[in-house]
Amino acid sequence: MTRVSTVSRRDFLKTTSLTAGATLLAGAPAALGQQGRELNVWHTEVEPQTVKTIQETSIAEFERKFPGFKVKQQALGWGDLNTKLLAALAAGSPPDLTHLNPFMTASLYVKHLLRPMDELIRALGESDIHEATLKLQHFDGKYYGVTHAMGATYFCERRDLREKKGLKPPETFDDMLKLCAALTEDGRYAIQVPGEKLYMGFVHPAEWLASNGGTWVDAKTWRPQLNGKSMLEILDYLQKLNRFQPAGWSGQKYLDTQAALATGKIAMSHLSGARAIGYIEKYAPENMRDPEHFTPMLRPRGPSGKIGMTTLDGENWAVFSQSKYPNEAFEFLKLFYKKEHYLAYCHSVPIHLTPIFKSMLNDPEYLAHPRIKKWKSWHDAMLAALRDKRLLPLGFTRPDDNLLPFLAELDGSSIVADMVVEVMVGQKPPKAEADRAQKRAEELLTQLGHKRWS
Amino acid sequence: MRQNAVAGWLLLAPSLLLLGGLVVFPVLYNAWISLFDKHAFLPVQRFVGLGHYVYFAHDEEFWNSFGHGLVYAGATLVLQLAVGIPTALLLNEGFRGRTLLRGVVLFPYVIPTIVAVMLWKWLLNDSYGLVNHLLIAAGAVRGPVAWLGKDWIMTSLVITSVWQFFPFVVVTYLARLQTIPPELYEAATVDGAGAWRRFRHVTLPQTRSVLFVIVLLRSIWMFTKFDTVWLMAGDGGVSRYIRTLPVYAYARSFTYLQAGMGAALAVIMFVMLIVATAVYFRVFEREEAMS
Repeated sequence: MTRVSTVSRRDFLKTTSLTAGATLLAGAPAALGQQGRELNVWHTEVEPQTVKTIQETSIAEFERKFPGFKVKQQALGWGDLNTKLLAALAAGSPPDLTHLNPFMTASLYVKHLLRPMDELIRALGESDIHEATLKLQHFDGKYYGVTHAMGATYFCERRDLREKKGLKPPETFDDMLKLCAALTEDGRYAIQVPGEKLYMGFVHPAEWLASNGGTWVDAKTWRPQLNGKSMLEILDYLQKLNRFQPAGWSGQKYLDTQAALATGKIAMSHLSGARAIGYIEKYAPENMRDPEHFTPMLRPRGPSGKIGMTTLDGENWAVFSQSKYPNEAFEFLKLFYKKEHYLAYCHSVPIHLTPIFKSMLNDPEYLAHPRIKKWKSWHDAMLAALRDKRLLPLGFTRPDDNLLPFLAELDGSSIVADMVVEVMVGQKPPKAEADRAQKRAEELLTQLGHKRWS
Repeated sequence: MRQNAVAGWLLLAPSLLLLGGLVVFPVLYNAWISLFDKHAFLPVQRFVGLGHYVYFAHDEEFWNSFGHGLVYAGATLVLQLAVGIPTALLLNEGFRGRTLLRGVVLFPYVIPTIVAVMLWKWLLNDSYGLVNHLLIAAGAVRGPVAWLGKDWIMTSLVITSVWQFFPFVVVTYLARLQTIPPELYEAATVDGAGAWRRFRHVTLPQTRSVLFVIVLLRSIWMFTKFDTVWLMAGDGGVSRYIRTLPVYAYARSFTYLQAGMGAALAVIMFVMLIVATAVYFRVFEREEAMS
C-alpha cells in the first residue's frame, strides 16, 4: 500500500524554515544576553593562588547572586596594565572594573573617564579605610577609586651582617653610604638597585625626591624640578652609592636582585617587598630563612629631607564611565571586600597584600596566618611606615601628585632613567645630566600641553 | 583588445586591493598622522605640520638612536658575512656529517627571538652566567665581566644578533654556491689556481648578485630590527646605550604615548632606507657595467 503524503514539499520547506527561524530568534536573545552579561574584571595580582582565591570567593558568590552573569577576571602584569587599558579605552571597550596605577587615575579623571564611587566607599566604611589610601582618588569632593590592598617597598637587608658591624639602620643618605662601605667586602657587594626603568627611573627617583624634600614638578606651575637642589643632592648620593653595587646592576632585574640577596652575593636589595619572603624561603641557606637574617629596612632621608619615604604598592579599583555594567561592578566590589573573601585574598600573598581596613590590621584572624606569624617583624615594619606616614603611592613625590595628569608619560619617557643611569653607571657630572633631563622634561610637558610656566 | 584590458584589470584588482590596503594605505596613513600631535590611545590630536620633523632634527635622542642603529647594523652585517660565508664554503665541501651540520647551522635562525635572547642573557649574566664562569676558569679575566652593563651591552647585542641571523647568509650563499658549474673550478685548478685564487676569481664573481641581495636585505633588516634590541634591554636602564631608531619610535608611540612623533620617526626611517637602497642599487649597477 502506498502512503500518500499529506504535506507538500513546499509546505514542508515553509514549516521547516519557519521553525528554524523561530528557534533562532527565540535563542538569539538568550545567546546575545549570555554573551553580553559578562562582567570583565582586570587586576594586577598575577599569583596563581590569588587568581584562584578571587575565583572561589568573590566571583563564586557574585555568580550565585546574579544568575546569568559570568565574571571574567584577567590578571595582568604591572607593565602591561597601562598600555592595555588605554588601548581598550580607545577601542571603546574597557573592562567593567579594573585596577589602576594611582599615577594614571588623575589623567583618566580629567578626561571624564571614571565613575564616582562614594556610595561604595560609605558601604565599605569610610572611616575604617586607612588614611594612607583613602583620598588618593578623591577629586572635587568625590571618590573615584578604592585601593585593593596595601604593600610597601623597602630595602631587604641581611640584618645579621649589619649587626656584626655594630651599625644601626641608616637614617640619612650619609649613614647609608657608611653602611654600604662597611658591608662591601670579600667579593660581596653591599647593595643592588634593580635595573628596570620602571624602578630605577621612576619608582625610586620618586622616593629619593620625597625623602629629600623634592618634587617632580613645581606645585603651581608644573615646571619640572629635575635640576633643582634636591635632585642634585640625590644624584651626588647615587654616584657614591654606585661604588657599592655590582658593575652589571643596570642590566639586571628585580628578581635577579632577590636571588643575589638570598644567595649572599649582596647584603641589601634596594627594592623589596613581602614577595621577597618567598624567594628567601626558597633560595637562602636553610638555617637562614628567618627574619633574624632577612629584615625590611625603611628608606633614609636626604640632606634636605625630613623623613625617608617609601612606596606604597597598592593599585586602586576603578569603574569607567564607559563600563557596560557599572552597578554590577560596584556589587562585585562589595563582595570582594566582604570580610571572609577579603581575608582569603590578603592571605593569598601574606603581608604583601595588607588589608586597607584599620580594623583588620591587627585582627587576630588576619595575624593567624602561619607566614604572618613567622615574619611578623615584616608586618610590623609595614605598620610602622603607616603610623609614621612614610608611605606614598608609586611614583608620587608628594600626596598632591595624584592631581598630575602626566606621570604615566614621564615614566614612559625614560628621561629620568637616562639621567640616573648616566650619573650612576656612566659617572657623568650630575649637573650636566640634570640640566639635560630638565630640558627634555620641559619639552615633553610642553608637547603634552601641560606647560603652565612662562 | 579593450575587453582584454578590462579582464586584465579585473584579474589584477584583488592583488591591487590587497597591496593598497595592506601596504600603501598604512604607509600613507602613517605619514598623515606624523603631521599631528596625536595621543597614542586617547582621541586627542592637533595639527602640527612638519613640527615633529623639525623637532627631531635637533633632538639629541634621535641622533643617538641613529648612531646606535648604524653601529648595530654595520657591525652585525660585517660579522654575519664574516661568519656566514666561510661556513657556507665549508658546508659546500663534501665530508661526513655534512647534512647533519647543515641542519644544526640553521638552528639559531629557526628558534624564536625571545628564546635566543633569553638564552644569551642567561649565558652572559654577570652573577651566574656560563661565559663569565668559563672566562674566569680559563684565567682570561679576574672578575666577572658585566656583559649586560653599560660598557658591554652593545657587544652582547651584536653577538646575540650575529649568532641568530648568520644562518640566513649561510643558506642563501650556499644555495648559490651549489649552482656554480664545477668545470669552472676544474679549469682554474688546471691553470694552477690555489684555494684563495679560486675563491677570488671564480666563487666571488659568481656569487656577486647573491651577495648584493644578502647585503641589501640584511642591512635593511638589521637597521629596522626591533625585537632583539628591545628584548635585550628595552625595559632596562641600560637600554640608553643600545636604543636604536625602531626602539625610539616604539617608545615615542607607546611609552611617551606620542603616536604622532612615533609615526614621524617611522617615516624618517622609511625615507632613509629608500635613499640608502637607491644609492646601493646605483653603485651596484655602475660596478656591474664596469666589470
